[in-house]
Amino acid sequence: MAMDSSHAASPAAHAPGEGHATVQTYVRVAVVLGILTAIEIGALYVPGLPSHLLVTLLLFFSVLKFALVVAFFMHLRYDNKLLTVLFVGPLFIAMFIILALMALFGAYLLLARG
Amino acid sequence: MAAEHAAVADNPNIGCTGLDHRKMGMWAFLGSECMFFGSLIGTYLSYKGKSINGPGPHEILNIPLTSLSAFVLLMSSLLMVLALAAVQRNDMKWGKIWLFATAMFGASFVGFQCFEFTHFVHLGLTLQTNRFGSTLLVLPGSHGGHVAGGVIWLLSLWVLAMRGKLGSQDTLKVEICALYWHFVDIVWIAIFTLIYLIP
Repeated sequence: MAMDSSHAASPAAHAPGEGHATVQTYVRVAVVLGILTAIEIGALYVPGLPSHLLVTLLLFFSVLKFALVVAFFMHLRYDNKLLTVLFVGPLFIAMFIILALMALFGAYLLLARG
Repeated sequence: MAAEHAAVADNPNIGCTGLDHRKMGMWAFLGSECMFFGSLIGTYLSYKGKSINGPGPHEILNIPLTSLSAFVLLMSSLLMVLALAAVQRNDMKWGKIWLFATAMFGASFVGFQCFEFTHFVHLGLTLQTNRFGSTLLVLPGSHGGHVAGGVIWLLSLWVLAMRGKLGSQDTLKVEICALYWHFVDIVWIAIFTLIYLIP
């Protein structure tokens, strides 16, 4: 089936350039993503940085990068909220699966067992 | 305005939510993919540090090389969004360039991963070696398969564009592909941090 008219005709869709981020915004987001990645890698080589602080820092930057891509590049910030529910709901289930498996097998990133 | 609403009413792909079924379907698919990768990440983290024999992460993982490939994939997301913006404004010259560049960045990432996996095997780490080997090769391997699929999808769109069969009226085709492509990027953001960076 041809995908020829749906997006432009949808009331929830956007005309070109309308309601979406501009090219300048995309470039700015990409620069921020690059800087965050550089900080993450640089943090590995900081001598004497406590392990729990390093793990917290890495997880925080990772979540920030994830959120930036989803919000701006995937346009979830500008799109219908129903799409956010469709994605974020299963994302929370996935996070629960990860935490449940780790708890089952006694694997903790920050806390020591016992 | 009335003509636009009439067009919406006539379009079988627009449901009562006012959203295109194909776009909603892609988001639902990405949600299910979150759970797929969540299971693999959870298994990797559960088995982390529990291998009886080596080699282990410190002997195998090449952080500088993987950082470079992570950066390549991250920047391919920028190229993808530039391709979508170009197609939306019917600038097919730049649309073709950005689509092809995104595919090439994706192909480079797959190349990095093939090199990395070959290196693992040379160092004695295979699926059968230990728990670290099986979980390490399955998780980034599954992701690499997704990236390879995305590259094929991007090249298909590029071929359509080269043959003059892709224009601003086909924005949704590119947008759905872009959603998939950004998803493989965010999955790598998680994998890169959890496997490669966290000690």
